[in-house]
Parts: sequence; C-alpha cells; structure tokens
Amino acid sequence: MIEIRGLRKSFGGMAVLNGIDLSIGAGEIVALIGRSGCGKTTLLRCINFLEDYDAGEIKLDGEVLWYRQLETGERRRYAERDLARQRQRMGIVFQQFNLFPHMTALENVCLGPRFGQRLPAAATEARARELLARVGLADRLHSYPAHLSGGQQQRVAIARALAMKPQVLLLDEITSALDPELVAEVEDVIRALTQEGIAMVLVTHAMSFAREIAHRIAYLAEGQIAELGKPQDILDRPRDPGLQDFLRRIR
Amino acid sequence: MEMTLFDLWVLTRAASISLLLALASIAFGTALALLLTPLAFAPWRIARILYRLYVFVVRGTPVLLLALLVFYALAAYWGRISPYAAGVVVLTLYLGALFAEVFRGGVLAIPRPLWDLSKSLGLPRLSILRRVVSPLVARYTLPPYLNVCVMAVKASSVLSIISVWELTFASREIIERTLDVYRVLGVAALLYFLMCFAIDRLGRRLESRLAAKGFAGERL
Amino acid sequence: MGQYRAWLDAYGAAYLEAAAWTLAIAVLSFLAALIWGAVLFFLRLNAGRWGERSVDAYVQVLRNTPVLLPIYLIYFGFPLFGVLWPAAVCGGVALVLQNGAYICEIFRGGYKAIDRVQHDAAMSLGLMPWTHFRKVTLPQMLVHSIPALGNQAVLLLKDTSLLSAITVVELTMQSKVLTERTGTAYAPFLVAAAFYLAMVWALEVLTQLAHRSVRWR
Repeated sequence: MIEIRGLRKSFGGMAVLNGIDLSIGAGEIVALIGRSGCGKTTLLRCINFLEDYDAGEIKLDGEVLWYRQLETGERRRYAERDLARQRQRMGIVFQQFNLFPHMTALENVCLGPRFGQRLPAAATEARARELLARVGLADRLHSYPAHLSGGQQQRVAIARALAMKPQVLLLDEITSALDPELVAEVEDVIRALTQEGIAMVLVTHAMSFAREIAHRIAYLAEGQIAELGKPQDILDRPRDPGLQDFLRRIR
Repeated sequence: MEMTLFDLWVLTRAASISLLLALASIAFGTALALLLTPLAFAPWRIARILYRLYVFVVRGTPVLLLALLVFYALAAYWGRISPYAAGVVVLTLYLGALFAEVFRGGVLAIPRPLWDLSKSLGLPRLSILRRVVSPLVARYTLPPYLNVCVMAVKASSVLSIISVWELTFASREIIERTLDVYRVLGVAALLYFLMCFAIDRLGRRLESRLAAKGFAGERL
Repeated sequence: MGQYRAWLDAYGAAYLEAAAWTLAIAVLSFLAALIWGAVLFFLRLNAGRWGERSVDAYVQVLRNTPVLLPIYLIYFGFPLFGVLWPAAVCGGVALVLQNGAYICEIFRGGYKAIDRVQHDAAMSLGLMPWTHFRKVTLPQMLVHSIPALGNQAVLLLKDTSLLSAITVVELTMQSKVLTERTGTAYAPFLVAAAFYLAMVWALEVLTQLAHRSVRWR
C-alpha cells in the first residue's frame, strides 16, 4: 500500500537517508529501529512530507505523493492545497508537545476533520467523542492538555490522528518521553488498534513492544535499511554486525 | 534654508557630548547598581523593600519627569547648577535601577545546583563568589547590560529638554533656525544609530570572546 | 497640611485633565501601535525576502534612535509639506511608528516561542495555511506576547511625557507649568510622578490578570 523507492536526503553535506526502499502492505505494522541519528525519524517525517527529500518516490495506493514527475524527468512539488489533502490520508503522533495547548481534548480531536477535511461540526464532534471514549478518555473531553498526564495527552493525540480516518498511522517514539508507569496505557491503545487493520509505521526503542505487535522490523544504519525481517529473526537471530552490536547495547 | 557643513560639524560635536554623557552615566550607574543589587538579596526585609521601592519609582516615572524633578530640586537647594551635572545625576539614578535589575536577574539565573556543588566542594564563600558566581553572572548579564547601555544613549536625548546641549538639543536649534528638518534629523538619527550600533557590535565581540574562554552556551 | 489641601483644590482639576490627556494619547497610540506592529509582523512573515529585510531595517532604525527624533520629524517636518496636524496627533503618530517596531519584535518573539511540533501537528492534519495560522499559531502567539506587550504599554505611557516638548498639555507639561506659575520648587513634579506611578501600577496589575486569565496554562 505504501511504496518507498530510492529515498535520499542530505543535510549539510551529510547523507541522512541513503537510498531507502520499503514496501508496507495494507494493515501491516512495521517498526523502525536503530541508533540515534540513523535517520529513522527523518524517514518517518518524509513519509508524510514534514521533511523534504532530495530524491526518490513515495507512493500510497499506487499514487505518487508530494511530487509530480514531469516529462523532462524533473519533479515538481504539488501545490499547498494538494499537499494538505495528501497529508490527511496519514495520521502522525509525535513524541512531545503533541497537543494544541489552547484547545480542549475534544477540540483537539475535532480540529483536523472540521477545518482540514471540512466536515460538518455535529458529525465531527460525535466521532471525536467516540474516539476519545475508545482511548479511555470519555470523562476528559473538556480538559486542557496542561491538566492531563503525559499518557493521557498521547492518547488524545492518537485519537486526533485517527479522527482523519487515515490509511496509515505514523508513530514517532510516542512513549519515549513518558514516565514508565504511563507507558502501558498508551501501548494498550496501540495494541487495540492493531485489530482494526490500520497500517502503522512506528519508530521505537521499546523492543519488547515492537516484537509483540510488529509484523516486520527494519533496522536502519547509515541512512539505509541494513536488515529487515520478522521480529523473531531481527531480534533473536540478527545477521548484520551493526544490529548485533546495537541489540547487545540496549539489553 | 539648508543646513551647512558647519552645522554638520556642530552635530557631530553634539553627538560626542551625548556619548560622553551616556558613558559617564553608565559608569556611575553601574557603580550605583553594584551597591543596590546586594540590597535585593539582603537578609533584612527592610532592605529588600527599599530596593523594590526604588526600582518601582525610578522605572515607573518618565525620565523627563525625573530630569525635571532633579534639576529643579537641585536648583532649589544649591542655586544655579549645571544642566550637565543634573543630567548625569538623573541618568545615573535611572540607569542604576536598570542595571541593578540586570544584575539581580543574573544572580537569579544561576541554577541552584551550582551553589550546592560549590559548597560541597568546601570552597569558602568569597571564593565561590569570585570563581564560580561572578564569571557566570557576567556571561549571562552581558546582553541585557548592553541593552541598557543603548537605552542610556537614547535617554541622553531627553536631557535636551532641561537645556543640556547635546545632539537632540543641537538638532532642534538648527531646525528652528534653518527649517531643514529632514536632513538635520536624518543626520542626527544616523549619528545616534552609529553610537547604538557600535555598542551592540562591541557587545557581540565581547560575547564571543567570553564564549571562547569557555563560558559556553546561550543561557544557563 | 492645610496648604496642601488648598493647593490640591486649586490645581486638582488641572492635573486630572492632564492625566486624562496622557491616558487618552497612551491608549489610542497603543491600540494603533498594536495594529501597526501586527501589519509589520505580517509583512515580515509573508512578503518574502524583501518584506523581511525592509521590516528589519525599519525596526533597527527605530530601536536605535531616541523617540524624540520621530516626534520632531512629524511636528516640525510635516507642516513643510502642508500637513498641519495638532501637536497631540503629531506626537501620537510618532509614538505609534516607534512602538509599532517594538511590538513587531514582540510578536516575533511570541511566534518563535511556539514549539516546532505544534507546527508539524497542524500541517499533518492537512490544515490550509490561513486556518493553521488562525486556529493554532495566533492564539498561542498572542498569549506568549502578553507580558512583553504589557511592558511596552508602560514604556509608551512614559514616552507620552516627551510630548511636552511639542506643547502638548499632558501630565509632565502641566507640572512644569504649575512649577513655574506657583514658584514652588518641585512639588508639582512629585504629584505628576504619583499619577504616573499609579497608572503604571494599574497597567502591571492588568497585564498580570490578563496573563493569568488564560485558562489553558
């Protein structure tokens, strides 16, 4: 469903992404792991074009996103309006400062469908309530983020991402900034989502969680996917020496 | 009528007077602030209240009003006094409050752990002050300190209203004589700009020198 | 004590009128400066490199020159082109031009204070630029700017005293007139100072209230 081909990105002379090829099927869950600075967050942010990339192609359901390929071989970026529409097909949850502090949980979740997708207010609110109930925050609809714990904020963020009915959910180390006792509630929500058949790409350090829910794990090093495979293979029988070293360090 | 080259020369001389006034006030003001800031941290409540009162009054009153007050008050007690003297006194009192707040901010910005660390190393109080606190305070307070210095140059223009002959006074004189408003004020603005800009540049240079010496980073 | 009472009865009205002028000029100029500062900020953000550079130049010039210069420029200079405004208007416009520059910088600070992730989150929801600005950026920017704006209001209030140099009868001018008329050494200035301090104190309280009343902090 998502096809990434030959993705390259340099920053200040350094190659951050050095030719990434990755295919993600509908409903598939892929975890991205690797050392800090290996490019996994950059890759995630390129997928929904929060970061620009220098070369390569990203396709969703066969449609090329973000750039239009011209006959001359050049590429031209889509107009702002089209980019916005394309972004609405994906949801993203960040590590920190996810929510809009000046809006309640309910308003946060309604914002995207209401003003991004321009859906009617009543329907948007009904769906928002339902989503917030699903992540276990039915009683906190009118709370502001400052009055919510980190775990609660992340759950609202997940509800907000889901409100757009995305085809894929991008998760950028969503539990790394949480106190340990709050991690479980967020992981529970994600675990429940795996039943819905929504595709996910998650950047994570939580190996046990990745092993549990991911269909495949990709290990990134030096801007490339050094190893890719099922969780058991990657985590128990790593072949790449860099990966072996990495796993040894984090145990 | 047009302004002449002589007028230009006059303006430049007047600018140097402005600069001198500012520099003198900065020097005295800094000295005053070094006496005031400790009051803000004194163990006696009365001292802290006096400090806050002083800062509130001086910062809450327009500089012009302060200047008029000081000028007329000094004249009442000492007869005719030089506007320059009154001017420097006013600016000193004004800048003293501003600098005191800058220094106070600097002391407050030192992270608590640093005090604890120095104490646990068994350093004597004075040594802590000299080797640990002061350099950090200096590094942190340099930008706002220079900001106040720029304000000093701009405040000197207010003194023109109590007949201190400096750049703004001279500009008004020439304007009232020649009506060459735009050119005269253009020159005056340029001269002020150069003085303020020079202070800003000097500051950047000092900042990078301090940074090279190892006072790393933006803020504490 | 009695003489002070008599003095107050005689001149209290004059002071109140002068204080009213000070307040009126300050309030109107501040509101106008907010608008002008917002315009400058928008230009800086949206008019490309030309916009950014010219606004920066404008701000730098006004930040590094004393406020009396624009005041004299308009008061003495505009009549040369046939523009004959009353002194208070000349002064007010000069104050707006000056403070607009500072307010533009305050808005910039408020804008920069917004965490980058906010911007990413809004983009990922597919919000169009104007909606993004209106619903996400602007509210946060304004709240972050409140303390600095309050401070600027105090500065503007104090700068109204400079209008006495161009014959506007506000508090400072009034106290100067009274000093010369009654021959008292400096008491009128103290009274004027008391007025200013009261106004400044009120402004500071208002600013704190405004900042605290934002429910979502």
